[in-house]
Amino acid sequence: CTDDLNTEPKVELSLDELLAQDPNAVEGIVSRLYASFALSGVQGPDKSDISDNAGESPFLRGIINLQDFTADGMKNRWGDDGLDQLTTTSDWDENNKFFRYLFNRVYFTIPQCNNLLAVANNISIENKESVIAEVRFLRALAYYYLIDTFGKGVLATEENFGDSAPLPEASRAELFAFVEAELIEVEAALPATNSYGRASKAAGQMLLAKLYMNAEVYVGTSRYDDALVLINKVIDEGGYSLAPDFVSLFSADNETSTEIIFPLIADADTSQSFGNTTYIVNGSLSTETMVLADFGANDGWTGHRATKAWYGLYGDLGTSTDDRASLFWTTGHNFEMADYREWKDGYPSIKFRNTNFNGSPIITAFSGTDFPLFRLADTYLMYAECTLRGASGGAINTALQYVNAVRTRSNASTIMQSELTLDFLIDERGRELNLEGHRRSDLIRFGMFTGSSYIWPWKGNVVGGTSIPDSYKLFPIPLAALQANPNLTQNPGF
Amino acid sequence: TVAEQSTSIPLPGVNVFIKGTTTGTTTDFDGNYQIKVNTGDIIVFSYVGYKAQEKQYTGQTSLNILLGEDTAQLEEIVIIGYGSVKKEDLTGSVDVVSSKDFNKGTVVSADQLLNGKAPGVRITSAGGQPDAKPNIRIRGGASLSANSNPLIVIDGIAVDNSNPAGVNNPLTLVNPNDIESFSILKDASATAIYGSRASNGVIIITTKKGTSGEVKFNFSSNISTSTVSDKIDLFDGNQFVDFITTTYPGETDLLGVPVGSVSTNEAVSQIINGREIYNTDWQDAIFRTSMSSDYNFSARANLFEKIPFRASIGYNSTEGIVKTNDYERITASLKFTPKFFEDHLKIDLNAKSIFVDKNNIDNDGALGSAVSFDPTKPVFDNNSPFGGFYTNLSDQGNIDGASNPLALLLQRSRPEKVSKILGNIEFDYKMHFLPELRAVVNLGLEASRAEIVETFTDNALATYQSTDSGDFVFNPGVNYRENQHITNTTLESYLVYRKEFDNFFINNFDIQGGYSYQNFKNDGNKEQYRYADDTGLRIRDIKNDDAYFNELNLQSFFGRSNINLFNKYLVTVSFRADGSSLFRKDKRWGYFPAAALAWKLKEESFLRDVDFVNDIKIRVGWGETGQQDITDIAGFYPSTPLFEAGSSTSQYLSGVAIYNAKPFNDDLTWEKTTTYNLGIDFDFFNSNVFSGSFDIFKRETTDLLVRAPVGPGQGLTNVFPKNVGETESEGFELNLNLNAIRKDNVNFSINGNIAYNKTEIVSLKDVTVIDSPDSGIPTGTGVNLAFNVVGLEAHSAWVFKQIYDLDGRPILGAFVDLNDDGIIDNDDRYYTPLRPNWTFGFGFNFNYKNWDLSSSFRGQLDGKMYNARRLSRGYTEAALPNNTQNLNNTLNFFSDAADPNFTNRRGNIPFSDYFIEDASFLRCENIVLGYTFNQLFKNTNLKLYAAVNNAFLITNYSGQDPENFNAIDDNFYPRPRVYSFGVNLDF
Repeated sequence: CTDDLNTEPKVELSLDELLAQDPNAVEGIVSRLYASFALSGVQGPDKSDISDNAGESPFLRGIINLQDFTADGMKNRWGDDGLDQLTTTSDWDENNKFFRYLFNRVYFTIPQCNNLLAVANNISIENKESVIAEVRFLRALAYYYLIDTFGKGVLATEENFGDSAPLPEASRAELFAFVEAELIEVEAALPATNSYGRASKAAGQMLLAKLYMNAEVYVGTSRYDDALVLINKVIDEGGYSLAPDFVSLFSADNETSTEIIFPLIADADTSQSFGNTTYIVNGSLSTETMVLADFGANDGWTGHRATKAWYGLYGDLGTSTDDRASLFWTTGHNFEMADYREWKDGYPSIKFRNTNFNGSPIITAFSGTDFPLFRLADTYLMYAECTLRGASGGAINTALQYVNAVRTRSNASTIMQSELTLDFLIDERGRELNLEGHRRSDLIRFGMFTGSSYIWPWKGNVVGGTSIPDSYKLFPIPLAALQANPNLTQNPGF
Repeated sequence: TVAEQSTSIPLPGVNVFIKGTTTGTTTDFDGNYQIKVNTGDIIVFSYVGYKAQEKQYTGQTSLNILLGEDTAQLEEIVIIGYGSVKKEDLTGSVDVVSSKDFNKGTVVSADQLLNGKAPGVRITSAGGQPDAKPNIRIRGGASLSANSNPLIVIDGIAVDNSNPAGVNNPLTLVNPNDIESFSILKDASATAIYGSRASNGVIIITTKKGTSGEVKFNFSSNISTSTVSDKIDLFDGNQFVDFITTTYPGETDLLGVPVGSVSTNEAVSQIINGREIYNTDWQDAIFRTSMSSDYNFSARANLFEKIPFRASIGYNSTEGIVKTNDYERITASLKFTPKFFEDHLKIDLNAKSIFVDKNNIDNDGALGSAVSFDPTKPVFDNNSPFGGFYTNLSDQGNIDGASNPLALLLQRSRPEKVSKILGNIEFDYKMHFLPELRAVVNLGLEASRAEIVETFTDNALATYQSTDSGDFVFNPGVNYRENQHITNTTLESYLVYRKEFDNFFINNFDIQGGYSYQNFKNDGNKEQYRYADDTGLRIRDIKNDDAYFNELNLQSFFGRSNINLFNKYLVTVSFRADGSSLFRKDKRWGYFPAAALAWKLKEESFLRDVDFVNDIKIRVGWGETGQQDITDIAGFYPSTPLFEAGSSTSQYLSGVAIYNAKPFNDDLTWEKTTTYNLGIDFDFFNSNVFSGSFDIFKRETTDLLVRAPVGPGQGLTNVFPKNVGETESEGFELNLNLNAIRKDNVNFSINGNIAYNKTEIVSLKDVTVIDSPDSGIPTGTGVNLAFNVVGLEAHSAWVFKQIYDLDGRPILGAFVDLNDDGIIDNDDRYYTPLRPNWTFGFGFNFNYKNWDLSSSFRGQLDGKMYNARRLSRGYTEAALPNNTQNLNNTLNFFSDAADPNFTNRRGNIPFSDYFIEDASFLRCENIVLGYTFNQLFKNTNLKLYAAVNNAFLITNYSGQDPENFNAIDDNFYPRPRVYSFGVNLDF
């Protein structure tokens, strides 16, 4: 009778049962690992994998919040407990829930990957080598964001998966070395092309290139030479080409784009999340000044607006030929952001939308626009940057050609070689890539994020902007994490 | 023959024995007995509930005895786990609340009978719904994340902790009219015998039995009407116009509706700038004066003069005070308690069946909209596409602002139907060859079927959708469906050996050992629907929890011994081994010992002759109990690695079904609670004139099952149950009863209780703070007010100290710099506990001839409440459109309902301790006045009564009601005031 204490679930399955039941089970688990960057969980958009709010905490929303709203080009007006401090780059502390969200998402994805890697050798998997490489890529991607935002953490791998003693703290250099080694190892196994949404060889190269690009920030050694090698491979061997139209990259049918190297998928019906592009599209819309249906949405959250630090980069928006300059909603809005809490101060960005670029209009509650995490225009600009920073093998002509290709695509004027400087490039990166989750890292790499050399509206919680301390190059480790693992120590300055 | 004194009905089963010997017998069904006696022997006749009599044998051939009921003694048998004991022999801390003590008037659920009646038992209903969920905490509860509700045992069957779908209050599933008494087991020496589920105390419910005499019938009925006792103080339409025109003149154009734009019979109160201003009280629109009724019929008999039997049927129809919140219940119960083989075999057969049908409403939606909806708008509009309900639409055709709360109620139906049976049969066999040895087997079944269907009517607001083409459509129909089967089985069997001695230092002892098996199976499926953007239809929304199957198995081995030394010292020791299916095999078993000692002081020579002391007893107890119930937070398989499929809206890679590895913790094991209890029971002056008890306790819980942070990267989520903490509680309980007047025509008695309990979190291992669940406040998303902090009481609010101006009014956003560092940040927040430490209850009964008047009161002396209404509707900007073209009503700034200094609630304002108010209160639970017609006809007594329940509430709290378990007052369903009239007919 005491055998009855061994109760057996019927709805949930053990790994063995799952593998026996569904021949594609491993693919289904891999799908969930990819999804961990875009969805709140696997039980609908209102349920969360982690204890944090399902709407606010998804990975991609964290990337946008931490990379774009803390930087110069984008501000949010809601002021929810902690968002003010984020958007004004001031008063950061370990209790800010928005820092915790990203930290928790990083450390949700990593052990989920480890969980599969720990058993991968013992189960039969079709294309095992490439699947394992993909999983290791996803884990490296999560670690990349940890290195970039918090600068340290613990190194959880399939080797120590299941250990209950708190893991030792891993420094930025240790995490860097791990991610570098992982990405080097999986490069060969990642497929040259993969089905949509899955990592190809170029995605792995792109990630490693980004790691190298920021190596000086991360570990104090410049690695632009190494970055350029990978950038060249992406450009030459990846098979990607610039999309003919800039807007098509940020429309609901962007899954057909030739430019996107690695997307985070959103689907209005089957991949719903308040933390994928729905956050960007709906968050930038408001019935107060806009017609939602024009952007394929039926809900506007009256939240995000760009600042003149972004739209000021295009000169006069009214006369600019640059397609990218037209992607701001100016009607009813003020150029200056006198009060970031006022919806009408600053221009909403309409770069991302939920309408199809080709074909009939759609209106859906959730956005179906995929997020281009890595795309070729970024690679082109990375090439130019490495070259300008003196990477061996970089050709300035080629760099100019790439930059002009990016600009020409948007009907912006071409530039001369003499104009191609690092100062120009950081601005061009803003024009091209703002609201795509790169801005804060870029500003730090260019030495413009902290201090007073570059200020932007509301930097340091002052309307005109003010200096912020160097400690703001990293986010504080969330209190919850410090408490959950006493080996973790706080970043300096917090 | 032995017979009942007042009716002369023969009494079976009366103990007849010769004093000072073990020679004895019992009376048969006709009250007859035979006993061999010698002249001079003293024969003792004793029967539970009757005053014992002694007669000296002087050679009579027959001795007829009439035994009189002993009302004092009737309550003195106390049902404890796996048996009963005379109150005077009780060693643990046990309260008995029997029918004469129950709360009276309109009572729908069992917990309402008990509320305020037992010290240290805090019952907090979730609100005024007919089946509002009660949070029951005995001594504050020992657990943090695990289930803290006490174990409920009905007629020997420990019932399921989880409720059938659609049932908020499991105690509505037993008809209150069938209940004879509650025993509340509080300390570990009493609860340990229930081991695995008893850490938070045990409430044993015993239902009424059949008689041994002639057939008796009872009919009772109660008709009641309920009203809202206190509405929220909001602006009326005209005040709102004044407020908007003076405070936000730019928004005046949003007041009311354009002249002639709506078609309604409602009166226009004024016209401003071409707009009709209505004066709608949206609270009145959704509330009603409700009518409820309750009918019960029961019969008690002794079938074939051998089988005591009771049967009852009951019908209850309760209307909630929010429209459409209707509740209907039919109950039936049967109880047979026959004895066979000269009383060697006792059988106790119980069957209860319940059928409930209620309409569950969207509480938060309706109550929230009724508060925020602009009062200058009408309720109805015949032109409206939404079935005649006025609705504000944006220029683009979207529903703008709050939804019409009356439409929310009338356009959705959600019948939740539950049928349940609870039955058991207990065989209690006294061995023929060894009468000291009894074997008891109890088989129980608890089974329920629940069915829920949620449907929206045509033109329902909630189904209004924009389409791809920019049009709007309705897609009414079924929105949710659930079917659920719960099947719980219980088997308990034990052997008891009881021996009495003469002239031996052991007066008597018993020893018992047994085994218990409980299995809980919950099996069901849901169908959830959503609007499909691509087809415009309402389609199945496949979720991974659509089908569910949860099984919990608990098994135990237990033993207990009671030893009575010199009839002065009572010793109880018990031991229990419990296994739970929630834990891994090698972590599964917990071992829980307990011991208690009682000293009957009255039996000591120095007190024996002290007349004014009837009884006095000191009790000391110690014991450990276990807790394993984390199913609410971690499901039924928390120690096993498992995969789940994803919902249809949470897929990712195209053409691949998504699977998720669920978090688990295979280190989970039992939470252990050790309780120390010191108590005294006393009874002074003749016949219970002044009696009571006092208990002081200390409780330590270790290996606390806490929903705690997982080391980053070291688990499949970030927070999961772990055995990581310790709590410590201490407190006391005092219970007093005074029979002030006891005369033939006049009786007056008073009872009162007060309890103090404080539970502190001693350790959470590495962590110092974790979130306290259910502490969200209505600002933004995911904003928690309360935390569980080491060194403090659980559920403490983390707040800033508000600064007030010279007039005592709060200065918006100004907080005290507690650490004096010149910056106001999180380091300036402090913690303040919310839940009360002091609770009390008292009442009186007064009889004069045929009249009786009784009342009961209860309350708390401390505790705090976060007035979330002030946060959500108590700042002036709350009136302004928020991404809409629609104004919202606010609390009335013209009265004291809110302070107009609060213009907004930005930044840290929601964490101001201004919102935290004293929540002490005194509530008059009921006042009942009755008149009894004795012997209206032959053997017919009729009682008529009138009652008010929730008659009044005295509190300093500025909101609606300070009694709220989570201490956050938002969208609260008001507790109604109920006036009732009832009859009770015995014949």
